Amino acid sequence: MWAFLTKDLLLFWRDRKEVAVIILLPIVLVVLLSLVVPGMFGEETSESYDLDLALVVEDQQDQGFERFQEEVEPSNDQSQQMIDQLQAMPPVDGLVAYLNSPELAEWVTVNQMDLDQAQTQVDEGELDAALIIPEHYTYQLLNEMVLDEPSEATLQFQASGQSQEVDMLRQMIQRYLDQINLQYAVASSGSQVDSANDNLPEGGVENVEGQSMFSMEHYFTFSMAALFTLFLAATVATRTGIEKREQTFNRIALTNAPPLYYLMGKTISTFILAWLQMMFVLVGAHLILGVFTEEGPTFWVGLIVMATLYALAIAAISSIMTSTMLRVKNNDTGDGIFMAVVMVLGVIGGNFVPINVLPNWLQQIGELTPNGLILATLTEWVQDQTYSLLVMPTVILVAIIVTALSIGIAVYPKRGEQS
Amino acid sequence: MLETVQLSKQFKGKTVVDEVDLYLDQGESVGLLGPNGAGKSTTISMISSLLKPTSGDVTLNQQSIIKNPAELRAVLGVVPQDIALYQELSAYENLKFFGRIYGVPKQQLESRIQETLEIVGIKERQQGLIKTFSGGMKRRVNIATALLHNPKILILDEPTVGIDPQSRHYILEMVRQLNQQGTTVLYTSHYMGEVEQLCDRVYIMDHGQVIAKGTKAELLSILSNEDTINVQLDRIDDEFLSSARAIDGVRKVEVSGNSIHIIAKQERQIVSQLVKISDQFDVQIKNFQMETPSLENVFLHLTGRTLRD
Repeated sequence: MWAFLTKDLLLFWRDRKEVAVIILLPIVLVVLLSLVVPGMFGEETSESYDLDLALVVEDQQDQGFERFQEEVEPSNDQSQQMIDQLQAMPPVDGLVAYLNSPELAEWVTVNQMDLDQAQTQVDEGELDAALIIPEHYTYQLLNEMVLDEPSEATLQFQASGQSQEVDMLRQMIQRYLDQINLQYAVASSGSQVDSANDNLPEGGVENVEGQSMFSMEHYFTFSMAALFTLFLAATVATRTGIEKREQTFNRIALTNAPPLYYLMGKTISTFILAWLQMMFVLVGAHLILGVFTEEGPTFWVGLIVMATLYALAIAAISSIMTSTMLRVKNNDTGDGIFMAVVMVLGVIGGNFVPINVLPNWLQQIGELTPNGLILATLTEWVQDQTYSLLVMPTVILVAIIVTALSIGIAVYPKRGEQS
Repeated sequence: MLETVQLSKQFKGKTVVDEVDLYLDQGESVGLLGPNGAGKSTTISMISSLLKPTSGDVTLNQQSIIKNPAELRAVLGVVPQDIALYQELSAYENLKFFGRIYGVPKQQLESRIQETLEIVGIKERQQGLIKTFSGGMKRRVNIATALLHNPKILILDEPTVGIDPQSRHYILEMVRQLNQQGTTVLYTSHYMGEVEQLCDRVYIMDHGQVIAKGTKAELLSILSNEDTINVQLDRIDDEFLSSARAIDGVRKVEVSGNSIHIIAKQERQIVSQLVKISDQFDVQIKNFQMETPSLENVFLHLTGRTLRD
């Protein structure tokens, strides 16, 4: 088998054009895309946020407190403690202050106005959205929080249309309210309350506390490495077609070498090439762009383990393609089928465009493809280096390797069966 | 030594090899002659265990090798019609790879590679990549690869197709020497000259069947009572041809350019009759030749076609 392996590696090495395409092209693409695409969509995204929000305050906060205190006698100390807490940090004042905070001021312009004016301007598209704090909001909120009675204390959010920015603003307000609710609940139990503090989105990627940043450079590095390694499986099958056409395969079949040695030679050489390719792209992107500058040894261990499993999966898939190529009558048909398979896997695996632009059902399928799985796993891994994250992808990849190798061996033609 | 028994092959219901019986005795050089598409390569593929026959058997020393071809493969060298070599590897690297998978012992491999390179005369160019070689040199490496494991039987499938006369001469001489040194040779070609020159016995195939077999002398005896006459004319005239075919004793008239080849029974007055009708139809005879019978004439006699038709 060593003879087959060295032959395949030597043949690959002699084809300098292919070496250049397989090793250099993905690195060139990663560099180009990382330099060009973020400038087009990413870095300017935060600067392009410019929302005009109408704030309509119909609630009279002080009257709400007075009315509540007149009508309701606190039932116990805990209720009184909550009322005191609410008076110390009035919810409507807090929300207005939050909307006018410097963090939000960078991307939201708040215009306080009356209801009719706000609705007209939102309808006419002059404003992006309106947040309406309705009449008796404070009173109803107190009823709900202190007495645990159902109320209609609901903020109204109106938008002129759907957009990512408007959705983000809606979510930010909701998160603020959720946080306030939690803080009041904690305060009512006697614990310390911090003032509300929320992180704003920066760039196109949300920075979650305690996790590393996932950037466009990471995406391009992982997707190009996975995609071009996938192409390698089809390339190996094409080489098998050439061996068939040039009769070298028949010459091999005339020897007493065990038939599967040929397939195993191809599979092992594909693994070596796929692993090297993954490493060239990952390390190359790191050296050129500094993609993994902040990562430590744990990250690299996980990266190498997953790259190794992925290379094995690609080698196993190449064994199916190699065996199939030996069976098809027309090499061009085989080449066409394999390239189509690679392209489909590339699309649904998220190597051409991020997987989240695809329908949910297709995303789920995509994450079961080896390339989609490695992309999703490395995306998580770069943000959170917890080894348990690698367990399920490892199991799935091992299952793919075993299944694909079994199919490859089963399809491999017996003596006299090759086309 | 090696024998086929009623060997047949069908592809999609079409019979391409039909009940072929042939044998090779040890040390013999046997020719398999026939035009393109006669079924020679398919027969060789079955003999060499590359293709399973639809029916029939192939035996080596009276043992069938259809189900267990390992014994045959150990003693068989096959030179395919195509250049079955890795173009991106050097001659040496090709030989080393195939030597290893042929099972040549590691300690003998280097010396066997150098020996075979010596035999085919490209020792000095062994480090050159195959893709840089001429057609003749590629053919030589193609042969060398089949000799690596020192086979007792050598099958050569049209080994001289598309090469220069010098390389052809070299290859023919090499095959002759291998045969003289004891290698049993099965040589297929549609060049009857090569088969006549190299082979002790000949099988002639057409449309998948063996239509004649024997030594050269035996095959030529088929034509023993016939003459082949080549006549060059100034023009071809249909009435002249019709009259020539009608001459008593003429069996076949083949037209080739402005020449006609006539096969006729011996001791007939063909020549005087030809002169007579040429006068009659105003056709001038420019050259006239009585031909020594060859295997080409035998094939023409048997099939009505030339080997290159």
